[in-house]
Amino acid sequence: MSNETKADARRGRAASFLGGHWIYLFLALEIIYFSLRTGSFASLNALQILLYYGVQVFLLSMAELFVIVTGGIDLSVGYVLGFASIISIKLMEWLGPLGLGEPLTVLIGVCATLAVGLIPGLVNGWLVAYLKVPPFIATFAMLGVCHGVSELIINGVYAMGLPKLAADIGSGHFLYVTKGVPPSFFSRPVVDRGVKVLEIVPDIVVVTAVVVGIFAFVLARTRFGRHVYAIGGNIDAATRSGIPVKRRLLGVYALSSFLASLAGIVYAFMYVSGKADGGASLLLDAIAAVVIGGASLFGGTGTVLRTMIGALILAVLDLGLRMAGTPTFDKYIMVGVILIFAVVIERYMPEARK
Amino acid sequence: MNGQSAAAGTAGGFLETRTGRALASNWAACFLILMFAVFSLTSGSFLSVANFQNVIHLQTLPFLLAAGETFVIITGGIDLSVGFVTGLASVCAAKSIQVLLAAGMTATQSVALSLAGVLVLSALPGLVNGLVITKFRVPPFIATMGMWGIANGLALKISNGFPMTGLPDKLPEIGNGYLVYILPGQFVSFLSKPVGFANSRIRELLRLLPYSLPFILLVLAILAFALKRTRFGRHTYAIGGNVDAAVRSGISVDRHLVGVYVLSSLLAGMGGIFNVFQTGIGNYTTFNAQYEFFAIAAVVIGGASLAGGKGRIWSSAVGVLVLAFLENGLAISGVQPFYRYIAVGVLLVVAVVIDKIFPDLR
Repeated sequence: MSNETKADARRGRAASFLGGHWIYLFLALEIIYFSLRTGSFASLNALQILLYYGVQVFLLSMAELFVIVTGGIDLSVGYVLGFASIISIKLMEWLGPLGLGEPLTVLIGVCATLAVGLIPGLVNGWLVAYLKVPPFIATFAMLGVCHGVSELIINGVYAMGLPKLAADIGSGHFLYVTKGVPPSFFSRPVVDRGVKVLEIVPDIVVVTAVVVGIFAFVLARTRFGRHVYAIGGNIDAATRSGIPVKRRLLGVYALSSFLASLAGIVYAFMYVSGKADGGASLLLDAIAAVVIGGASLFGGTGTVLRTMIGALILAVLDLGLRMAGTPTFDKYIMVGVILIFAVVIERYMPEARK
Repeated sequence: MNGQSAAAGTAGGFLETRTGRALASNWAACFLILMFAVFSLTSGSFLSVANFQNVIHLQTLPFLLAAGETFVIITGGIDLSVGFVTGLASVCAAKSIQVLLAAGMTATQSVALSLAGVLVLSALPGLVNGLVITKFRVPPFIATMGMWGIANGLALKISNGFPMTGLPDKLPEIGNGYLVYILPGQFVSFLSKPVGFANSRIRELLRLLPYSLPFILLVLAILAFALKRTRFGRHTYAIGGNVDAAVRSGISVDRHLVGVYVLSSLLAGMGGIFNVFQTGIGNYTTFNAQYEFFAIAAVVIGGASLAGGKGRIWSSAVGVLVLAFLENGLAISGVQPFYRYIAVGVLLVVAVVIDKIFPDLR
């Protein structure tokens, strides 16, 4: 082998490595940049804030990932989020006077909302899989329906009246460490004023991490996950090899709206209100996270880890710009640029097949 | 996304007849007429010249966006950036007028200069979209979604997140002017309301033909002509129908696609400028305006297919009217406006299902 071809091969390998790993590099550079620019960015507190305000995007990009791997798209997630935030509050408001006690009210409210939240996804899946409506149209139609129904329920204002327990969960932390007191889980210890309590990991971040973990397992290790990749890779081959494609698509869209509903419940817990368009601006972030993570809109590719890195890139950008005092308007521009950059890099430096 | 070519459903009996097919291919227009009938029963003031003029006047921007989107969708692409390009053009126009006014130019000069500049500049987002799509092979959905973010961010940055005021008062007068003013039995005045006529009595005037009507008819007619009768239009259909065949038959597909995205972006910019005239201020586009989605919805309701190769300007215009009169009719009948969103969703699905049952219409 001549020196030149060797050099070429090395360059090819380098490009392929870069194509596969640029998001990690980018995330690291981003963190370093913002740490240098603002002194307080590299701190436990900033990390927690970042994860706390990122949960919606984590959950929505997770939802979007499953759909995009099948070669579809789900435009309705943002408004399903809003719909679920309203439904959960309204249900708990309605359950409250029945005298079940707060824990049971919240539990039933959450479960019932998750069940109701499956409906948009089932309709989407039915339209896409059985009526062959293009996913773009079917889920856009659902976006409109969810928007309309949500506004009708709350009559154009906010949904309020979340039980106190739910709000406590939304703003609570997993672990509280105080000097001289044994660490306490989930509830803030009663201390004198002025005593510093170290709060570690918000509750909802724990919930999100668990859910993301479960669905990462589902996508990577179960038969359902393999079928999802197979459908996205080649739908005809998937059909011929005996995969129940229609049922799987139905499942994928239901799962997407399930995760979006969960994000909506978390939204309600965090912001103590339900809003029809609470998730409207998150659609860009959710799809962008998946695409930055290297998934192709034509389906068949994409992993949870890389999608989460994509979501983290967006979250770091958001918080970093806020802490640097730049108007958040810059974020939209940056997201747009990174989004296009991600696809271009994927095109020119494709990751070597393992 | 990838137009799954479904087997055509079996449509028997009436739907196979010529009348049935004619009804199906013009179902949006039929639905529009049906709406007129229903809403004129549910509300006394729906069926009036004033209301119709008003609806059409307010739809100038959606007409422009839907027309641009029609070209893009026929090529099999999609342009998600149009809504925010509109906002960007609107704030750019307002900003440059403010700057030129501050520099001591007269109102007319600064308006004319900045509008010309913004119109030219509004080709830029489309140019970037087109180049990214053709040179780097980025899917249109992603490329224009990127531009969605970029245009939105720029518009917010320029406007600082507030509507931009301080423009000449003459702007909304022109933007909302009428060709003919009549006070029954007393006078007829053309182009502007008679001098000295009190603003408080403006409701007694019979106002006919808003400026926006001939403007939008002209634009739509030119675009319809371009799509139907010129080489540009034929190539647009050819690329959407079968891109490989288009390449083989010698069409420079890349250049044409860039042209289509530039056109779409130009029309969005024109919409932004119109917006300044209509409201008298520079508006960035809010997230829940969803101009691009309603434009796409109008095109699909008008019978275009997201898989490409199908679509007509006038049909898309009918799609815009369906959405517009739906909103107007519901509002005027005292129904909560939120039903509109639901109805749009249902209509979209109906449009696609009809498209599936009759894959060879048009």
